[in-house]
Amino acid sequence: MKFLNRLLVTLISIVALLIVTVYIFWMPSPQEPAYTLVKTWGSKGSAPGQFNEPTGITLSDTELFVSDARNTRIQVFDLNGNFKRLFGKKGDAPGQFNRPMNVVIAGNELYVADYFNDRIQVYGLDGSFKRNIGKSGSGDGEFNAPSGVAVASNGDLFVADFYNQRAQQLHTDGTFVRQWGETGQVGILDGKFNYPTDVALSKEGTLFIADGYNDRIVSFGPNGKPSAKWGGPFAMNIFGPFNGWFATVTNVSVGPSGHVFVADFYNDRIQKFTQGGKFLNSFGIENTGPTHTAIAAVEADDGSVFVADYANHQIQKWQPGK
Amino acid sequence: MNPTALKNTVFKSTGLIFASTLASAVLMWSSASFAAGTEYNLRVDGLACPFCAYGIEKKFLKTDGVKSVDVDLKNGLVIVKTKEGKTFQEDTLKTIVNDAGFTMRSVKKKTK
Repeated sequence: MKFLNRLLVTLISIVALLIVTVYIFWMPSPQEPAYTLVKTWGSKGSAPGQFNEPTGITLSDTELFVSDARNTRIQVFDLNGNFKRLFGKKGDAPGQFNRPMNVVIAGNELYVADYFNDRIQVYGLDGSFKRNIGKSGSGDGEFNAPSGVAVASNGDLFVADFYNQRAQQLHTDGTFVRQWGETGQVGILDGKFNYPTDVALSKEGTLFIADGYNDRIVSFGPNGKPSAKWGGPFAMNIFGPFNGWFATVTNVSVGPSGHVFVADFYNDRIQKFTQGGKFLNSFGIENTGPTHTAIAAVEADDGSVFVADYANHQIQKWQPGK
Repeated sequence: MNPTALKNTVFKSTGLIFASTLASAVLMWSSASFAAGTEYNLRVDGLACPFCAYGIEKKFLKTDGVKSVDVDLKNGLVIVKTKEGKTFQEDTLKTIVNDAGFTMRSVKKKTK
């Protein structure tokens, strides 16, 4: 009887320890005051300032660039949401695109992941076409639905190659440097991806890959070796609504603050982390419809965060709490 | 021309116009029927993410014989319309959906 009691106490202790461990390590609390939604703009439509499925967002010093996917155009706003201009035309000729996805600005040029045309298109910030990089395929420097792009200080491109299950590094002229992931092979273990949706670079050259359906972020140092991964227990495709967990990651960006912002699409929120993956904060607008809201985010110099809201066809502007 | 002959002529002309109009209508209807393609309503789970939904659209638009693709997120449907005379086997549709990273639950075929 005494033995059974001891066994029971031991078992209860183990379960309690497990629960506390899970709570401490995998359900962290916010580390800073809550963000406040200060503004939204846009509605469904095709007029200037309206959107039909915004999917990507990025910033220059003074302007906000939004990829308006189903309208097949890029729209430009000031940081208060006032419409300034738009450009882009549906097609597959140079300068035309079809389903622009995640976008990024580097060196006064806008890089657009051209999802249907399997290439990266580069524009001046005034909308003038500069060049395109890549073509359809699964070989080196080829793409199958490129979904996100980042640009290093030396001009090298890093591209999330969605259906090829990899991220590629290319020189400015498109020549292949290296890749992460096995081409066409889905996996949840280290070294493989499950539909990567986006990439981002820190100032120091750390590469962050949004491993979409693995519900995690994986990072690699400038030497190309793994440096961190996070997203739920063990970062192994265990999804959920808790802080630090994801349910389909659609965008990753590193802001001027050095923090990492992750669009946690099925949870309708943006989550903020240190570059090592420590959870800091989350914010977003819940959605009750068949699709979801927060698909991409970018941080401005003053700490404001702009979010492309896919379900509501609008842009959200958030400010950090004080 | 006497009034009876005039009447007969008018009747004949009216009959000819009616017959030719009817023949044209039948011809137009039959050619329209012949020109119409097939519509497939595919039930696919997990379409809420645009990367997925666009992926399916892209795969179908690159498939020979596909005229248009629409995604109905609310009902989880992919609606594929084919060009004149083009049909697909269910297995072909399943393969395309699988290649896009999804599983096709069912398919309904509508011939116009």
